[in-house]
Amino acid sequence: MKLRILLADDHEIVRRGLCALLQKHEGWEICGEASDGREAVEMAKRLKPDVVIVDIGMPSLNGLDTTRQLMQHDPQFKVIVLTITDSDQVIREALDAGARGFVLKSDAARDLVSAVEALQSKRMFFTPRVNDLVLAGFLDKGHVVARNEPPNLPTLTVREREITQLLAEGKSSKEVASLLNLSTKTVETHRSNIMRKLSLHSIRDLVVYAIKNNIIQIQMPTQMSAPTETTVA
Amino acid sequence: MSHQRVENFMPVRILLVDDHPIVRQGLRTLLQGRGDWEVVGEASDGVEAVDKVESLRPDVVVLDVTMPRMNGLEACRLIQQKRKNSGPEVLFVTQHDSPQMMREALDAGARGYVVKSNAARDLLEAVESVSQHRIFTALARIPEVPS
Repeated sequence: MKLRILLADDHEIVRRGLCALLQKHEGWEICGEASDGREAVEMAKRLKPDVVIVDIGMPSLNGLDTTRQLMQHDPQFKVIVLTITDSDQVIREALDAGARGFVLKSDAARDLVSAVEALQSKRMFFTPRVNDLVLAGFLDKGHVVARNEPPNLPTLTVREREITQLLAEGKSSKEVASLLNLSTKTVETHRSNIMRKLSLHSIRDLVVYAIKNNIIQIQMPTQMSAPTETTVA
Repeated sequence: MSHQRVENFMPVRILLVDDHPIVRQGLRTLLQGRGDWEVVGEASDGVEAVDKVESLRPDVVVLDVTMPRMNGLEACRLIQQKRKNSGPEVLFVTQHDSPQMMREALDAGARGYVVKSNAARDLLEAVESVSQHRIFTALARIPEVPS
């Protein structure tokens, strides 16, 4: 029986690349492709894939919250998070969310097949940097304490995180309500709760909060007319 | 005409430049449908792109903007400087969905500009256009082309 993989990335060009890479592997098939987190959750519930690969920076519902929702629905889901950064905060959030694999997008061509193979064998797959962080957590008591500290988003529910992302992406309460099949009044209530819990006073504050906490990702500016040696992320 | 390619008789030779191998693979997959096009090489940054333009003599360079060592804009300028009148056409495929960046790309000598999120929709038409020395620009959010 073939291993069924669901891909979620907002860029079709990346999905094409991932498909080409994974379909070379005998015994694997791409059972679905999603272009945002919300679609990924819906498809995963319906298709019940063996492995879900999610990009961390998707619109509408980011990869971390997609992972949280999937794990909340069924802790047996095996999720690999694809990311452009392996900062400590992102690693911790991915682990907390329940990801079993963590692959840098820049290394996906090299690591993704190994990551899927690992999950197929009921193991986990992480980049060397994640392994170092996890190991440090075991060796360094202080590090373990740090991991047990309340996460950066301690008080927001899954629904509130969803709404935070949508509001930070510029959607109105009415648009959010329509997307989530809620009444505008319910969304307004969530919105008030979010602002109160996070001690925020404006949408601008909310956007800054969302960026700082990896709920949304912004495009890094490239220096125009850059000098030859300029390195841009 | 670039590099002695006899249009309509020889395949369009394409160089793919992006720092993410998975994106290059995606671009390759999209271009595979055209039997009259040939991906002759890949590069992962601007420095390598400039070198490979010299060695491979592509007709079209599909170029990312944001790359390590040398970004795409600078690479485009160098390619145009080095290969005046006989250089390849440059098509940017980038995540930068901004008219300013598009203007900068065209000023650097590019013939085309496509936003990555729409590459699956726009790439083939863009390569077709620039290979025939026609300008192709398409932003995702703001449709107008700067004057």
